Amino acid sequence: MKLSLNWLKEYVDINITPQELSHMLTMAGLEVEALEKIGDIHDKIIVAKVLSVKHHPRADRLSLCDVDTGTSTVQVVCGATNVKAGDLVPMALPGAELKGGIHIKESKLRGEFSGGMLMAEDELGLTDNHTGVMILPPEFETGLRLSDAINPLDWSLEINITPNRPDCASVIGIAREVAALTGQKLKLPGVQYREEGVPVSEVARVDVIDADGCPRYAAGMIQNVSIMPSPFWMRYRLYVSGVRSKNNIVDISNYILLETGQPLHTFDYDQLEEHRIVVARAKQGEKFTTLDGQERILNSEHLMICDGKKPVGIAGIMGGLNSEITDSSSNILIESAYFNPVTIRRGAKSAGISSEASYRFERGIDIEGVIFALKRALSLSLELAGGKINKGLIDLYPKKFEPPFIDLRVDKTNSFLGAEIKKGEMVQWLKALSMDVTEKDNNTLNVIPPTYRVDISREIDLVEEIARMHGYDNIPETFPAIRPNDKADLPSLQLHDRSCDILAGAGFSEIITFSFISPESANLLQAGENSPLRQFVKLMNPLTTEQSVMRTSLIPGLFSIVKENISHGEQNLKLFEWGEVFFKDDSKDLPIEKIMLAGVISGNYASKRWYSETRPVDFYDIKGAVEVLLESIGLSNITFERRISVEAYDKNSSCNICHGEIILGTMGKIAKEVLDGYDIKTSALFIFELDIENILKVKSGKIDFKPVGKYPAVFRDISIIVDKNVESKSVQDIIIKTGGSLLEYVDVVSVFEGEKFGPEKKAVSYRISFRSIEGTLDGEQVNCIIERVLDNIKAETGGTLSEG
Amino acid sequence: MIMKKKLLEIRDRALSELDSLKNLDALEKFRIDYLGKKGHITSLMKNLGNIAREERPVFGKLANDLKDEITGILEKVIAEFKGKEEGGDKIDITLPGKRPLRGYLHPVNQVNSEICRILVRMGYTIVKGPNVELDYYNFEALNFPKDHPARDMQDTFYVSQNVVLRTHTSPMQIRVMEKQRPPVSIIAPGKVYRSDSDVSHTPMFHQVEGLLVDKGVTFGDLKGTLTSFVHQMFGSDIKLRFRPSFFPFTEPSAEVDIQCVICRGKGCRTCSFSGWQEILGSGMVDPAVYGFVDYDPEIYSGFAFGLGIERITMLKYGIDDIQLLFRNDMRFLKQF
Ligand SMILES: [Zn+2]
Repeated sequence: MKLSLNWLKEYVDINITPQELSHMLTMAGLEVEALEKIGDIHDKIIVAKVLSVKHHPRADRLSLCDVDTGTSTVQVVCGATNVKAGDLVPMALPGAELKGGIHIKESKLRGEFSGGMLMAEDELGLTDNHTGVMILPPEFETGLRLSDAINPLDWSLEINITPNRPDCASVIGIAREVAALTGQKLKLPGVQYREEGVPVSEVARVDVIDADGCPRYAAGMIQNVSIMPSPFWMRYRLYVSGVRSKNNIVDISNYILLETGQPLHTFDYDQLEEHRIVVARAKQGEKFTTLDGQERILNSEHLMICDGKKPVGIAGIMGGLNSEITDSSSNILIESAYFNPVTIRRGAKSAGISSEASYRFERGIDIEGVIFALKRALSLSLELAGGKINKGLIDLYPKKFEPPFIDLRVDKTNSFLGAEIKKGEMVQWLKALSMDVTEKDNNTLNVIPPTYRVDISREIDLVEEIARMHGYDNIPETFPAIRPNDKADLPSLQLHDRSCDILAGAGFSEIITFSFISPESANLLQAGENSPLRQFVKLMNPLTTEQSVMRTSLIPGLFSIVKENISHGEQNLKLFEWGEVFFKDDSKDLPIEKIMLAGVISGNYASKRWYSETRPVDFYDIKGAVEVLLESIGLSNITFERRISVEAYDKNSSCNICHGEIILGTMGKIAKEVLDGYDIKTSALFIFELDIENILKVKSGKIDFKPVGKYPAVFRDISIIVDKNVESKSVQDIIIKTGGSLLEYVDVVSVFEGEKFGPEKKAVSYRISFRSIEGTLDGEQVNCIIERVLDNIKAETGGTLSEG
Repeated sequence: MIMKKKLLEIRDRALSELDSLKNLDALEKFRIDYLGKKGHITSLMKNLGNIAREERPVFGKLANDLKDEITGILEKVIAEFKGKEEGGDKIDITLPGKRPLRGYLHPVNQVNSEICRILVRMGYTIVKGPNVELDYYNFEALNFPKDHPARDMQDTFYVSQNVVLRTHTSPMQIRVMEKQRPPVSIIAPGKVYRSDSDVSHTPMFHQVEGLLVDKGVTFGDLKGTLTSFVHQMFGSDIKLRFRPSFFPFTEPSAEVDIQCVICRGKGCRTCSFSGWQEILGSGMVDPAVYGFVDYDPEIYSGFAFGLGIERITMLKYGIDDIQLLFRNDMRFLKQF
């Protein structure tokens, strides 16, 4: 809420600087988000009197004004059309500085001398009004500094009102807080006025059909008003508060809303059929045009203000176009009511409207403040619009509001806060906040909060008030004794930390992408009709289609980041993301959430360096990363199995990552068509995806220690010529099986394909290490094993020992 | 045996001289002085005629032994000097090193880890919960009744009438208390979602929730805990303040501001000239919340807090654009 400091000062004396006030309010829970000096008018801007106005001889749109500056008569060229002889206007004299750094000088405009500038309100930085030169009240003294004449110098405070404090959504509300905090007295404006003629209850009638939606409805009436623009001081205050000025009557209802927090509505009495107000629910499907010119389709959520025949406003939310105050309105019925917060909230949500009125009604206004605001509006109307106020008021208030009666325990308050606040201080603060306090016993205070404090109904609400007024700063800092618990860390967290470290150590950088993606991604990934990738959790209110479903895979996110980086010329990428994926599950309330870890590599393995040539990444780079990762988190016996169903991947260079029967993930080369679909400009992408839940299932967390052999190892290199389609693993398996307990490890040292071995053959060299824990191995013994290995390889794969 | 004595003298002199020689040139001069054709030993041997015939072979052997000894030592010393002066080739130590590959951890996750590490050290246990959450946990049981304006504080993504993307990590308070009796001391890091996206907001971001409930936990404990946290996170000289605020599930509630890390409290654009920056929300658990999990507020009390990780990350590194955190540009990631 934006607030004028000068306005605030009308209701409470403030003897501290605006900065101190801001700090005080902020530390009491009314956060001042911005504090700005406004209405600073340059000294060279004065009140000038227009003596004559004539046309500029060479410019149709300009006129020449002779003005009296108090010391001399000067000619000024003016572009506005509203100036006439005798008007008092603000004038910037040569030497004046305007907003935006404009300097006023004597000049010639289209050949005519101009000794200054006549100014509009927006040019003065006072309001946004640019309908013409500002016309000042005739009683001002010519030649006076404008800043002395209208005294607009002020501070604007922007205060963040939390939803629990609707009572502070008004100037008087803030003044009450300031008064409580500083010990000053609150000064409420007077509401005395003369009543004349027929009582309002005789010329108008109100029926509240929905008493639940409208617990209180009051109305007053003023006749024969003159609708005209509001005076500057009111327009200025409304402007500072962010409200547009319309006419005096509408401005008054807005002014009272800002001043008291009570939303009012003004009706053109003569437009009300049967001069009657009926408060009732709308009919389903009924159409109604609100003040903003929009036609709304109503339903039973909407509480309506109707006249004898038709709706004239949505109660507490927005008035109707059909009963609006116009320039020809003369008799005004003013509504001041209390509507049920839930009714208003539902109605406003359903109509898609949020107004200053609905904002306050939703949060709860002061049901006991209804009459004060109404009288205030009537008296201000009389002052600014003339006319006569009808006698009396209509006030339908069948069930009087009962404020809560709360016991506050002094010891409990202190033990809860960790403070030692004396009972006397508590009483003092509560009273400062206009609470009714009586001492029930030595430890208990009996408290009745004021009716506008709709947030206070429980002991804890009072404890908060005490803490806030005593000052959070004055409560000492202590340390809780946290009792240890014996729960181990979440296994997924340990795995997360370890995996991230390993991958970063292997050259992968971590990315974070949004959990929502485009539903189109399933098609781009070539997902089958029944693929889990299509089990999207859809958002009802997405920001864009691109972010309208929860991701079922991390791949689209990785792709988008690969694409982004490639567009910056960064081709060599190694990225990973750890995050949730989501699958719709109609059998449960919530979808299935799974944690996945996925990585991608593209471009070259590393840039060319002075010590190394570069090379494109390939399948074995991603496989190696997966091997190192799984090994580092304590998984052994991993197998890689060719995939049967293939989504997104190139089926010849991709596989499942398995542990026994359980599939831990997938990896391989992304199919060319998928890359094209995503428009990723790189030769190849390799991806791995790991299902963390499955990894945790097979991960024992235990490492089986094996003794380290004391005796030397014996190495043998064998080179086998074998058919190209014989996979390396089948030969390795034979070596391991045949090698028995003495075999330490076997590794692939080289793979050659070439003419020399024949077109369908390749030569694969294995290094085999043997070691015994019992003693030094005898070469002959090892040779025997190698003989058997070669025999078995030949028998099972047809591979033969290469003699070269 | 004067000659023999002379030989010994030469030996002593040679050895002590050798010790003091500083470079190869000096060594060469030494070699000429002692072992050269006109050197001390050779000159002495030329005087063989001056000694008794029968002593000549003995003396000759002694002189040759000495020559061999000095030659041997000299060779060793020269070898050492050569090692020092010429050695292996002198290399260009300014060439870049042969770097193993390295990757970078995302700054948000680095900061998340740091936050969790500090809080775990204080005694909190990490828990995790669903991103897609029931309205009940996200709002209702946190004392955001249906049709209450407090719901406007958070723009919500809906999956269905009763299912939302969690708008904060606070639902974990309920999920934990529902299953566990006090004492409870947990932190819950995770992703949260709000349906606003502009220059300073992203529709997804990260929070860490904290909850402590036990007998006798006070507002002072909340202050002490969060002060210690802030000091560990930003340095013990950073000032902070607790400001009354409102959250439906805590009362009293407090927002914590830290002295602007950019201007150190003087006021700048980042802190809208207030000198302060908001970094977390907190408060004493509202008794209404205990009602949903069947805790007795007359026996137990506690506090909860929620930290925005992006915000802390941005403050910590002086990042002025939140969008950078989710663009994952390598030029950005490589700085962390
Ligand atoms: Zn700053």
